[in-house]
Amino acid sequence: MDPRMCRKISSSESLPDVENEEYEVSTIIAPQESDENFMLDGSPEPHSVTWLDNDQIDDLNLDDQTNLCFHRVDSADIIYRSKKKKCKMVGKYVMGDVLGEGSYGKVKEMLDSETLCRRAVKILKKRKLRRIPNGEQNVQREIQLLRILRHKNVIELVDVMYNDEKQKMYLVMEFCVGVLQDMLEASPGKKFPQRQAHDYFTQLLDGLEYLHGQGVVHKDIKPGNLLLTLDQKLKITDFGVAEALDMFSPEDTCYTGQGSPAFQPPEIANGAEQFSGVKVDIWSSGVTLYNMTTGRYPFEGDNVYRLLESIGRGEPAPPPAALGPALGQLLTNMLKRDPDLRPTVHEIRKHSWVQARPALEAGERLVSPRSRRSDELHTSTVIPYLVERHYPSAQDYFTERDLRHELGDGGSRTLSTAELSDAASSRRKRRWHSSCGRLPSCRLT
Amino acid sequence: MFNPDFNDYQLTSIITECCGGVAVVYSALYKPSNQNVAIKRYFVDKTKENASLIQQDILTRKELQHANILPYLTSFVHGRELYVVSPLMTFGSCRDILDRYFHEGLPELACAIVLRDVLQALQYLHKQLYIHRSVRASHVLVGANGGVRLSGLRSAASLVLRGRRQRHLHQLPPPDHDNTNLMWLSPELLEQVHTQPQLCAASLVLRGRRQRHLHQLPPPDHNNTNLMWLSPELLEQNLKGYDEKSDIYSVGVLCCELGNGAVPFAEVPSTLMLTEKVRGSRPQLLDCSTFPEPCLDDTEMKSMYNTDSGVGDSADAVCRLRALYAARKLSDTFHHLSELALQRDPDKRPSATQLLNHPFFKQIRKTDYLPGLIGRVKPIKPDPNDMSALLLQEKLSEMEIEKTTEWDF
Repeated sequence: MDPRMCRKISSSESLPDVENEEYEVSTIIAPQESDENFMLDGSPEPHSVTWLDNDQIDDLNLDDQTNLCFHRVDSADIIYRSKKKKCKMVGKYVMGDVLGEGSYGKVKEMLDSETLCRRAVKILKKRKLRRIPNGEQNVQREIQLLRILRHKNVIELVDVMYNDEKQKMYLVMEFCVGVLQDMLEASPGKKFPQRQAHDYFTQLLDGLEYLHGQGVVHKDIKPGNLLLTLDQKLKITDFGVAEALDMFSPEDTCYTGQGSPAFQPPEIANGAEQFSGVKVDIWSSGVTLYNMTTGRYPFEGDNVYRLLESIGRGEPAPPPAALGPALGQLLTNMLKRDPDLRPTVHEIRKHSWVQARPALEAGERLVSPRSRRSDELHTSTVIPYLVERHYPSAQDYFTERDLRHELGDGGSRTLSTAELSDAASSRRKRRWHSSCGRLPSCRLT
Repeated sequence: MFNPDFNDYQLTSIITECCGGVAVVYSALYKPSNQNVAIKRYFVDKTKENASLIQQDILTRKELQHANILPYLTSFVHGRELYVVSPLMTFGSCRDILDRYFHEGLPELACAIVLRDVLQALQYLHKQLYIHRSVRASHVLVGANGGVRLSGLRSAASLVLRGRRQRHLHQLPPPDHDNTNLMWLSPELLEQVHTQPQLCAASLVLRGRRQRHLHQLPPPDHNNTNLMWLSPELLEQNLKGYDEKSDIYSVGVLCCELGNGAVPFAEVPSTLMLTEKVRGSRPQLLDCSTFPEPCLDDTEMKSMYNTDSGVGDSADAVCRLRALYAARKLSDTFHHLSELALQRDPDKRPSATQLLNHPFFKQIRKTDYLPGLIGRVKPIKPDPNDMSALLLQEKLSEMEIEKTTEWDF
């Protein structure tokens, strides 16, 4: 067997996002034609196959001098097996692919098997939480707050589940297609057209108005914590450092700030002992708007200390004149060093830039939610798992020759993992149709 | 025209319980004009979340006016309950009619009349930029003179949002707790409820499937009865969204429901229904042309049924239904209509207007009269048993009031 073949497959390990490939080719079969060089299991019978997974392929000692003889292997004898999408249920939910990953754990897509509603789940591992400062405390606060809050622009906590055995907690939330942060990063100039920024900003104001009305200060408003649903509704998420104010106090005094540095106001950067909580959100929303419309930050620094120093001491970079006077003025107001001078949500609403919806200028294009996968429609990732569950015969085997034939390739070059998985999934799709055809009551469209 | 005052109405019988026990529908007499009406009584206390849905239902119906849409007459609050008055639809819903009289489906001409009227309602709704989102037999009501009216507007959605027209919607309709099939009050109807799962199972066998899913039957009172009718693109919930063509798909499912008697996909888990729809398989009208070769011979199937379901006589019902389907022949235009409506690609599906011009509807003559076609169906009449129960109920509630007044501190 050709050792290079093994290397080629194993190289899939180093490719980014390999977990999100729809069908990862994870295993090859080493044909047992004439030698026992690659008999990992040591099974001596001829015509048997040995399955190698990626780890085993990595472990193969290809530098071993005894393995230097090259054997010719027919491409029809190299068999791939598409990675099985093992359907996993948590409660009444069917698990899908990973949507994102944080320090606390993963965020995955799920499907409510009863209502068929798409959901997202934040999976928290106790082990990881303990390592984060205030981790467990923050999660508890987040759950407490989200249980009470209900607004069209605040993420809805649908369900909370615990698995004591695995020491995992599942926070089931509304499904969202994207984070503003990701969209910004993928867009030209890392900014939105004013029209789009205006749309998000007004929704942010709606959400903030509600939160502040409920006596809740978010304290970590930033594009990374603003999500979008399928119908472009903005949802404020991540209440890990949020705080419920004392309902009976006329003040909105807070004592701790743990938000992201670039979005912190001067009073927190300077380490003030107490400060107005509501005005922290106003400042962070100002930085968010600044960032969405310019692609830059009002304060920058090489590291967190420099950054906080410049926020604490300096004046924000003036908004570029290209933004126009109205938006410029709004940003300047929201980014006042003195919290008392910053406008309230109510005042911001009345501002002329917020009142008038900016037009989409020539050459500007709306940024659509970016997908981690290549799927622009953000189709449910749960479907393949369901297929595995309901049609267990869908297991696919195919050979190297089939693949090359399918790709119209003479076999002269090495296939990339993406190509392999594409071919695999297209094969799978065809298989789907044929299995549909077998149901007498169902015809193909 | 109708007074919003409880004292002007005399409840005469209980028609059905619906919305998951949150509401009860009564027939009633409107005393001032001696007219029969239907009153839906909501126990608003039981349902905090649904209050906005009820409001939505009323607001939408107030806005709409069409001969094939259940009109709203008036509504009022009495005690702790909300009462919504509509005209009485004497023959009940098509689902009731199927369950009680036509297990094997309505006669084709009756299907044609019902479908035509439903499509006319949808044509109007779509013109008003509404998507109905719960077209199904239990929402299609038949009146005394054979008039067909579409109800269930509580899950209707407007394509106009904040004054702007939306091209597509993305949200699932609100979870539906409607159990219109469950009529708890008369024993014969309760029997219907119990035989319901077997009826569904019948189609399971008919479709040539292994009976593996039999034990996974959804409980008869499960909450999301609405999902079976929803289009694949609506259920997919991706960025493409869905539009009024989604209702057309539901009309296709309604075709099969009216024609076959059983609801397509009712016997399989929702997740399998989803994958089936997404993968493009579609339900069919069952007759000799589509009926699959029997996978098991009758005796074998019978024995499987006896062991599987534990209900002996259901197997006979199943066999009878199978034979009925295999022996009949539905017209090609009926098949064609359902196929058109059930296409996987919403853009390929015809609009309500286009479907109304389909040759299938040409068979309807002006003299055709729906109640005549479904002659077996008995209209809803005041029920003395119900009446006494109602009187008792009213007395009890009066007693409660007396009790409270006695408390003098």
